[in-house]
Formats: sequence, structure tokens, C-alpha cells
Amino acid sequence: MTLPHRWISQLGALTGLLAGALLLGLWFGAMGWWLAGALLLYVGDTLRHLYALDRVLDGHKRVPLFETRGFWAEILARIDKLRGKARSRKKKYHRLLREVRESTGALSDGGIILNADREILWFNPAAARLLGLKAATDIGNRIDNLLRHPGFAAYLATPKSDGISVPSPKDDGGWLTVQIIPYGRDQSLAIIRDITHEMQLERTRRDFVANASHELRSPLTVISGYIDALSEDPEMPEAWGTPVAEMQRQAERMTRILRDLIELTRLESAESKAARDFVDVVAMLQPIAAEFHGRGGLTVTLEADTDAALLGRESELHSIFYNLVNNAARFTPSGGSVRIVWRAEDGGAVFEVIDTGIGIPEEQIPRVTERFYRVDPGRSRASGGTGLGLAIVKHALQRHDGKLTISSREGEGSTFSCRFPRERVVFRADAIQAVQ
Amino acid sequence: MEVEDLGHHISRRFNEDLERVRNSVLAMGGLVEEQLDRAIKALSEGDSALGLQVAEDDQKVNRMEVSIDEECSRILATRAPTAGDLRLVIAIIKTITDLERIGDEAEKIGVLAARLASVERPATNYRELRNLARHVKNMVHGALDSFARLDPKGALEVVKADDAVDDEYDSIYRQGITFMMEDPRTITRMMDLTWMARALERIGDHAKNICEYVIFMVHGKDVRHIGIADIEAEVQQGVRRTEGRS
Repeated sequence: MTLPHRWISQLGALTGLLAGALLLGLWFGAMGWWLAGALLLYVGDTLRHLYALDRVLDGHKRVPLFETRGFWAEILARIDKLRGKARSRKKKYHRLLREVRESTGALSDGGIILNADREILWFNPAAARLLGLKAATDIGNRIDNLLRHPGFAAYLATPKSDGISVPSPKDDGGWLTVQIIPYGRDQSLAIIRDITHEMQLERTRRDFVANASHELRSPLTVISGYIDALSEDPEMPEAWGTPVAEMQRQAERMTRILRDLIELTRLESAESKAARDFVDVVAMLQPIAAEFHGRGGLTVTLEADTDAALLGRESELHSIFYNLVNNAARFTPSGGSVRIVWRAEDGGAVFEVIDTGIGIPEEQIPRVTERFYRVDPGRSRASGGTGLGLAIVKHALQRHDGKLTISSREGEGSTFSCRFPRERVVFRADAIQAVQ
Repeated sequence: MEVEDLGHHISRRFNEDLERVRNSVLAMGGLVEEQLDRAIKALSEGDSALGLQVAEDDQKVNRMEVSIDEECSRILATRAPTAGDLRLVIAIIKTITDLERIGDEAEKIGVLAARLASVERPATNYRELRNLARHVKNMVHGALDSFARLDPKGALEVVKADDAVDDEYDSIYRQGITFMMEDPRTITRMMDLTWMARALERIGDHAKNICEYVIFMVHGKDVRHIGIADIEAEVQQGVRRTEGRS
């Protein structure tokens, strides 16, 4: 590394000054005084420049310097340059910040930045509008002090990626979803979206389906009543036998569809978690297995590896088990087998139905729990399905904190597994111990 | 911020204790708000199961009151707070009592709603009562907001709203009497409705009390049992004093 030019010239100037003093000292004598004088001169000059530098750093724009070149002028020029750079960078950041502010201000979704203690650090205007936040009092306040819904407090303790719906604290009947996304060191971002409109649509849809099913049920009862009477009438002409039998079958199917629709809307509109009644699963599975065994040449076996019971609603659990077995039986050709398995796993329990049926193409597996979705429409209808069974299973299972997984291979069979978490399962051994 | 806290309190743990108990009060408030919400929903949707569920869940509110109360006693005994901190603890102890009473009134509404679900509903679906409920709900919400923000001005707004709620209660009451005189068969239902309106009106009073504690906590002035104009004057004076100090 070589010294910059200004340092060489400065050191040169000092050397020159000292050399001059030395010469003068040799010439006139009193060397010490000459040298001291030269150094004093140098220190004085340096102090003068330091004073100028100090004033410049104090914020005086004008540089009160006599010279425009040389060591000090160069240093001051460098400081000026640095300041200019800092100023333009500051301007740039200001502009950037303003743009970020403006764009987050224009967002229709609310955003709130929270620290590790869930205190509000910053929020955008949409968040202020949706939650009624006020900058003056709410920065630094904990978010759950202002959004006090108990469900939100529980969500805040263990945030999941899918967010939570809470009633709007500002307008009656409004709904919001809040999603907490952790980032950086202990900070998190809360995204708030107004879903009032979606909730209303969903409700309208549900009400419509519920009303339509109820309204259709009464006329259908009358129709099937007459068809039943007709089919048993000995005076009915022979030619009408087949049509009437077909009408009877279709009327029965309509009744089943309506029953399933009503069940489904009931599941959707009930409180989100099922009750916790004691349900003996094995005792419930035995008659189901017996009912399907031998039907259409099927072998249905029940393998109960555990006597675990579930805490849930009996009718809904029955509906889960029955629909899954029914589903397996309908898609398994004659001579095939359906295994019903009830076993313990990871502290919880698993209910499985394994069939040797026609299977489901892989790309369609995620869709089979949609209502009225059919892998093979002709076949499903011919086997008497309503198209709602798996949708009911999915909803009822959700209400029991359970999870449905489907694995299948086309032509070889499918496995439907329902996993129930620890909190919903009671093992008899535990129960006996608890009593003792 | 930590330096400031240390200057403010010798012990940071003390600050944390106060903050935690304040947060629990607001969590309890959130629970009470939800109870009230569900009780009203049980009435407007004729959902008797929900009404009974609300009545059962009142235990949760009671349990929270007991635990916050214990925490406050512990703070008083071990920390011996003074000045603003003492006012905070006193205000909290009073606030949870009122919150618990609001919970009790919500329980009452839940039980009455469950009973009313089995009788024929009027064409208006209890519009007057639902209006009253909405105002009362806003009052409770505003009271808890002003508690969270330590905002005496917000508290004053809620105190002012109480008069309107009282008027609404009076008109429901009078209307009920008219109905009962016209058709004695409605007496049972009308009595239930009047009780419910009464419970709502009481909830409004409790919300007002909470607001008075907020004003007490922030300005150190007891504003109970004085007229609204006087309360307003106290709040204004308090604001001026606070501004003068800073």
C-alpha cells in the first residue's frame, strides 16, 4: 500500500518546515527556539484547519478555508462528497419508504407487524379500518388486547398456516380471517381479510340447500307412498310392472340423496366441534361388518386390534364408518374382500377400510370428497350411491379432529384411513386405571 | 424501553406481573363478549342448544375471575404497589367483578333464549331486543377497548351511551305491558322478554362501571355517582393535567 499523494505532500511540507528551521538554527544559532517556532507554526495551522473542519461537521455549509487545494482542502472535499452521498441515499430510502407506505396503504388486506410479545409495531390503513385501530394508542399494545375473541387468543398461541375466522370487532355481523406469518427474528406479520361477503354467500348456499331438501322431502314422501301402494296392487296390468318397480327404485334413491343432503347441511352448520360422548367403536363396527358380509359375493372382515373407544357423537361416528364400508363394498367386484381395521397408532387410533376394488385414478383422489363428485358417474349411480357419502365422512371427521387419508391403485384397490387424535381416544386399560 | 422500565419499577418482574394480569382481564373480557354474542344469537336463531351451552360456559368466566382475583391479591401482598400501579390493581379487581356479572347476565339471557326457542316467534323476530343487544354489545366492546388503550375519552363515550340504552329498555318495558294488557296469553313470553331486556340493561350499567374505573385508573379521580357533565369536566381536566406534566 502506498501513501496517497496528499499525505506525501503534507509530510513533505512538514519535513521542509523542519529542515528550514534546522538551517536557520545552524545559521543564527538558538536551534531549539527555531525548531519550537516551526512546530508551533505547524500546530497553529493544523488547529486552524481543525476548527474549520469542526464547523463544517457542525453543519455549516460554507467551508471557511483560504486555500482551495492541498491536504486540508482535499479532506474537506472528501467529507463533502460523503455527506452528499449520504444525503442522496437518505433521499432514496425516504422515497422507497414512502412508496412502500403508499403501496401497503393501497392494499385492501390489513397488515400488522408484531414483535415477539405480540405487541403491535406497525399497521397499514386497511388494518386500522378493519379492526378499528388507532395509531396513537395502539402501537405497543398487544394485539389480543384489542382483538379479544377467545378463538383468536387460542390461535395466537399456536398459529397455523390456514388462519382463523373471527367476528369483526367493528361491525356487527362482519367476519374477518386473520393469519399470522412468522418472519425474521421473533417478528410476525398478521394479515387480515374481510370475508363477510364470502360468509354470507356460504350461508345463503347452505340455507338454500337445507330449505330445498326439506321442501322436496314432503312431496317425495307422498309420491313414494302411492308408488308403494301401486306396486303391491294385484290389479295392476302386467305391462306396468317394470316401470313401477323402476319408479320405486328412483324414489328410494331420491329419498337417500335428500337424507344425505340434510345430514351434510346439519354437519356444516353445527358448532365446529362434536360433543364428547363415550362411543364403543368395536361394538359399533360388528353389525356394520355383518351387514355387508356376503352381500354381492364379498368377504367383509373386521380386525379389531384394540378395544379403544372414541369420544364423539355416536350418530356421526356411525355415519363415518358406515359410509366408508358402504363405499368400499360398492366399488369392489364380486369375490373381492373388504377389511375393516381398528388399531392404535401414536397414542391415537386409526380406522381403516381396505378393499380389493377397482381403485381410484391418482389424479382424482383429492377430489373424491367433493359433494357429487364421481370417478365413474355411470358406475357409481348404478351401484346406488348418492355422491355425498365421502363429503359427509370428511365433515363429520373434521368435527372429531380426525383426518382422512386415501391411498389407491387403479385396479388393485383402495385404502381409506381415518386418524383420530389422542384427545378423542380412550383406551380401556387407561380408563380402568383411572377408575382405580 | 427496558431502561425506562427499570427507572419506573425496581423490578422488571413486577412490570411483567402487572402486564400479565392486565392481559388476562382483557382475555376474560373477550370471553364475556363472546358469551353475550352467543346468547343473543341463541335468541335470534331460536337455538335452544346454544342458549344452554352459553349458560354452561359461564363457569369458564367464573374460573377466570377467581384466578385473576388471586393474582391481584398476590401482587398486593408481595409487591405493595403504590400510586398508578395501585390504582391499576384496584381497577382490575373491580373490573373483573363487573365482567363476571356481565357473564351472569349473559347466562340468564342464554337460559331465557333457550326457553323462548320453544314458543312461537313474533314476525319481527324480537327486533327491539336485538337493537338493544347491539347497543349493549357496543358498550361492552367500547369499555374493554378503553381499558386496553387506557383511553378515558373512549370511556366517556361509553358512559354517555348508557342513557340511550336505558331509554330503549324503558320503551321495551312499556311495550311489553301494552302487549300483556291486550292479550294475557302473551304474559309468559313477554315476562321472559322483559327479563332479557332487563339483563341487557344491567350489562350496559356494568360496562359503564368499567369505564368509570378506566377514568379512575388514568386520572386518579373517582367519577362514580356524579352527572355526565361532571365526569366530562373531570376527564377534560385530567387530560390537561397529563399534557401539562409532559
